[in-house]
Amino acid sequence: MSTETEIPVEVEAEAEIETVSAPMDDIHPVSRYFLFLGNEKVKRNFIWFPLVGMIISILLGLHFKQKHPLPIEEYIPGSWAIYGFIAYSLIVLSAGTLFKILGRDESYYGEGGLPDPDYSTDPMVTGEAHHD
Amino acid sequence: MIDQFPILAEINPGLWVILAGLICTLLPVGRARKAFVIAAPIFAGLIIFQLHSVTAAQHLGGVMSFGPIELTTLRIDRLSVVWGYLFCLAGVINGIYALHEKCRITDSSALIYTGAAIAGVLAGDMITLFVMWELTAISSVFLVWKGGDHAYAAGVRYLAIHVLSGVMLLAGAVMHAQANGGDFMFNAIGLDSPGGLLMLLAMGIKVGFPGLHMWMQDAYPKASITGTVILASFTTKFAIYALARGFEGEPVLIWIGAIMTCFPVFFAVVENDLRRVLSFSLNNQLGFMVCGIGIGGALAMNGVVGQVFVHVIFKGLLFMSIGAVMYRTGTAKASELGGLFRSMPYTTMFCLIGAGSIAAFPLLAAFVTKAMILAAAVENHLYIPFLMMLFASAGVMEHSGIKVPHFTFFAHDSGRRVKEAPWNMLAAMSISGFLCFYLAWPFGGYQQLYALMPFEMEHAYKPYTWDHVVFQMQLLFAAIFAFTLLKRFKLYPAERRAEILDVDWLYRRMGLNVAMWGSAMWDRLSANMSRARTRAVSTVGRRLYQTFSPAGAASEATPSGLAAVLTAGLLFVVLVIAYFAR
Amino acid sequence: MALLNFIPDWLLTHGPAFLMALPLIMAAITSILPNKRVAWASTFIVTAILTITAFALALYNAEVGTTVYKMGGWAPPHGISLVVDALSAPVLVLIALMSFVTVIYALPATVAEIKPNKRAPFYAAFLLCVAGLLGMVITGDAFNVFVFLEVSSISTYVLVAMGAARDRRALSAAYNYLILGSIGATFFVIGIGFLYMETGTLNMADMARILADLDGGSRVAKVAFGFIIIGLGLKLAMFPLHTWLPGAYAYSPTPVTAFLASTATKAALYLLLRFTFFVFDPSYAYVADVLMYVLVGMGVFGMVFASLQAIFQTDARRMLAFSSVAQVGYMLLGIGIATTASVGAGYLHLINHAVIKGGLFLALGAMWYRFGITRTEDFKGLGQTMPWTMGAFTILGLSLIGVPFTAGFVSKINLAGAAAGAGWWWAVGIIMLTSILALVYIGRLLLLAYFQSPPTINGVVVERNEAPLTMLVPMWALALGSIFIGVESDAVVGASIRAAELLLGTG
Repeated sequence: MSTETEIPVEVEAEAEIETVSAPMDDIHPVSRYFLFLGNEKVKRNFIWFPLVGMIISILLGLHFKQKHPLPIEEYIPGSWAIYGFIAYSLIVLSAGTLFKILGRDESYYGEGGLPDPDYSTDPMVTGEAHHD
Repeated sequence: MIDQFPILAEINPGLWVILAGLICTLLPVGRARKAFVIAAPIFAGLIIFQLHSVTAAQHLGGVMSFGPIELTTLRIDRLSVVWGYLFCLAGVINGIYALHEKCRITDSSALIYTGAAIAGVLAGDMITLFVMWELTAISSVFLVWKGGDHAYAAGVRYLAIHVLSGVMLLAGAVMHAQANGGDFMFNAIGLDSPGGLLMLLAMGIKVGFPGLHMWMQDAYPKASITGTVILASFTTKFAIYALARGFEGEPVLIWIGAIMTCFPVFFAVVENDLRRVLSFSLNNQLGFMVCGIGIGGALAMNGVVGQVFVHVIFKGLLFMSIGAVMYRTGTAKASELGGLFRSMPYTTMFCLIGAGSIAAFPLLAAFVTKAMILAAAVENHLYIPFLMMLFASAGVMEHSGIKVPHFTFFAHDSGRRVKEAPWNMLAAMSISGFLCFYLAWPFGGYQQLYALMPFEMEHAYKPYTWDHVVFQMQLLFAAIFAFTLLKRFKLYPAERRAEILDVDWLYRRMGLNVAMWGSAMWDRLSANMSRARTRAVSTVGRRLYQTFSPAGAASEATPSGLAAVLTAGLLFVVLVIAYFAR
Repeated sequence: MALLNFIPDWLLTHGPAFLMALPLIMAAITSILPNKRVAWASTFIVTAILTITAFALALYNAEVGTTVYKMGGWAPPHGISLVVDALSAPVLVLIALMSFVTVIYALPATVAEIKPNKRAPFYAAFLLCVAGLLGMVITGDAFNVFVFLEVSSISTYVLVAMGAARDRRALSAAYNYLILGSIGATFFVIGIGFLYMETGTLNMADMARILADLDGGSRVAKVAFGFIIIGLGLKLAMFPLHTWLPGAYAYSPTPVTAFLASTATKAALYLLLRFTFFVFDPSYAYVADVLMYVLVGMGVFGMVFASLQAIFQTDARRMLAFSSVAQVGYMLLGIGIATTASVGAGYLHLINHAVIKGGLFLALGAMWYRFGITRTEDFKGLGQTMPWTMGAFTILGLSLIGVPFTAGFVSKINLAGAAAGAGWWWAVGIIMLTSILALVYIGRLLLLAYFQSPPTINGVVVERNEAPLTMLVPMWALALGSIFIGVESDAVVGASIRAAELLLGTG
């Protein structure tokens, strides 16, 4: 199509990884202050944040009534929280079944869906040049 | 500017952008092209601004007639001007995002595409609308094809579907205009004529009605990195404009829109390719707008307009952040990413802003506008669509609010250590990120958005009330809590590489198989047929030959003989018709 | 009209006879010219003069209206008259102009395709063909139409057969064309005979008057009408009678293909219009029924089936030939709907399609001239190897599909509008469908040309090799012409509406 194509400067990035010795050198300077986000303990205890937030907003909801509630909604405390929780769980839990029904191998249509070998570092892809 | 050059008031500003794109096709200098890419939408935006402030109600221009058809190629009124500004703004942001890419095809087709979208929403008549409708399709397919060889087939499908949509739009427009005494102005259409139905279907394809949506999730994830960002900004929003103009308050749209918000949620949760997840999310957002158009009335329509405006910005932001990740890592598959906040902190922040905006956190973009559509649904006692949209809001939180940032930037560390995104990408993302805050800012921010809204509201909707904030937070916290809970109990499905079937299976697999089977059958049939025919013809021919010509010339039946028989047959038909004529 | 001031008066008064006689006489002289360059030059000059004359007559016609020229001073019912009216003038211009354009192109093309000793006869046959086509359009006498029809047909058979130097299949194609063309001409002359029996005159205006007095006439007139329709149907390649056309277009020399595609079937269509609406009248029940069931039916079948056939062709010229059959369907549909708007749209498409298809065949000819391309798969990378030729091909191809701001769009939108105006919504649907089919068969070539790399021969990529200027100029003239019609459609649309008003007596 055109002689000009974009080639990401991936080579440089990889070259940098080779030369890295200290573990912190490959972390972005800004990110060094946020490394706690990758901490296992923080990850495990993160659950308390939404739980507390949810409880507080349910309690606040008891005081600040909805101005235009649905017909029976005013009698259910935390109605949106319940609805949100159920809806979210339903969506996520349906994923397994959906995947069984709709999931196919990536080469199903035989025209990609696979990442471009020029970009990808995935061994499964770089091994075979499907685009030739 | 308009005073010195009155011609500017007659020419659709989008055409200037298209012209810039045409110049770029020939311009070999990369920097000059980039200057056009940034300057052309700004120029168009300035003209729109001037024209709109000159006449408050509406500005018509560029009237010309083609034979019996009168075209009004430029109409700037309170509805279309919003899209005009929006597309110019998106054009500039996309231009900045693509500054690093030295590709003539991308630059020129992006400009032509942007210009066609601007010209299309500012078109006053249906023929101009159709022309721009097709031009957006034709110019944007190059962005899909720039995605590489594996995008070629998807691009062809994209083009075919959009051209079909355009032809349907034209046919519908002609039928509708005929029913209205040859008036081609594009105003409310309604569904009482076959033309209106055809036009709705054409717009439905472009906006991604359930079942007609698959081109979007097919083509967008395969386009080039910048291409996806640009594609996601215009096509579908252009169609939303057409729907808002033509089919406001059409009850069937409420249900179509409600279904449209729900079904992509299920596909997004199993999908592994994050750009496809975002395409499903785009489809789901469009559902809210379609539903709002179906509800109609000042509140819902203003909600739709506002939603379109902020949607382009935050959806662009999400696509840009995933694009930046893909630019650095080479992939957008959730299964191959993770832990990238260690190397791309700014991108992470922008992605989180985009995710928060789409999930409608207070102080972030969609909080104001989505609530207007939901409030309009409750106000009109449309409880079931309301609940469906609320369900979809939880779904939005799932796929765009949590899944996209979580699997890209957090989750388990993929070990990829890459550079932060290039400066121009960060600049584009920071503009969008700023707007996400600004357009929902309670003190003088969202009021700016309100000032743009076309319909007068008796009581301006107040988004920052206690009950709204509190109940929205209930929904969001509950969703996050459900996520962490499911994660903790290992119930959250792991990301797996797969191709997920959708409606496009009908034409990509079943249709193809049927066609291949049909072609094989046809080959056999025609072989048999021709054998049978030669046998029959040669038998008759031999008889004729034996009868009429004792010493043989050509004994084979020639095509000219067959044609002569046909001629005689047709003459017979004509004579019979003439004989039995009244 | 200021331009008319530059035209001498004698050309305006005697122009009609001049149009017919000049090429006839020059054909005889050209055939014996010894030098092939001189033969080309004489043909070039003749066609240039014809073009100027035709233009002058058309302008004059727009100013003063219908003019009747009496051959030898004999008054019409007995003598032969030549009629220049709103219907014939544009077709005259079209034929003269296309012959002129083709002759420019023929200079390099004949060198490659025609043996040196055959070139002078080639040009002579070409001039005869032009004379026949112009004659059958301009004459007001029904028998004279037949004579000129035969003049043009016989010279065309010769021209088609001359393709044998390039491809021997041209001989069988010419034979096929000869047989079917003769059948068509015979049917036509039989029809004229019956008509003479009914009316006792051969002058067409007179026939029309007498038929109107007889209120459509007896069964003899019906039979005459049937024969004339079928005879002309063969000549204009109405759908099931089109079998001669693909072969003739595919194997004749490239300039001949371009000329035939843009003029021969168009002149026959002109005659169809002349007979159905001028001599006969759609107010007679049998004419209305035949229009409704045969012309529309066959037109629509042709549009769909020939478009489908075009998609599956592997030879580019056969593909365009089938596309021509489909496009004839559009014109028949317009004629069959029989309202002023629809006949105008059909007539408009006649002119536009001539420009488009002529240009397309010229571009294909240039591709054959440089690379010997006949098959569709050889289009690979032509966007790089022949950018200018491919550019013209692209513009004209888009015009054929009906992309806005091209000639094809103007006629298709007018036709769709006319069909809708008459309440024929299904026809609008068919027009849509066949436009998509056209997109498929043209788009297929464009994709190959622009998105595939040029082929490699012995490991070397084929280099850029653009067509000579004498080929590029005519095809670009037609390509720009089609855009011009698309943008400034008023003149052509106006002419077609005037023609339709003349035919239907609504003007």
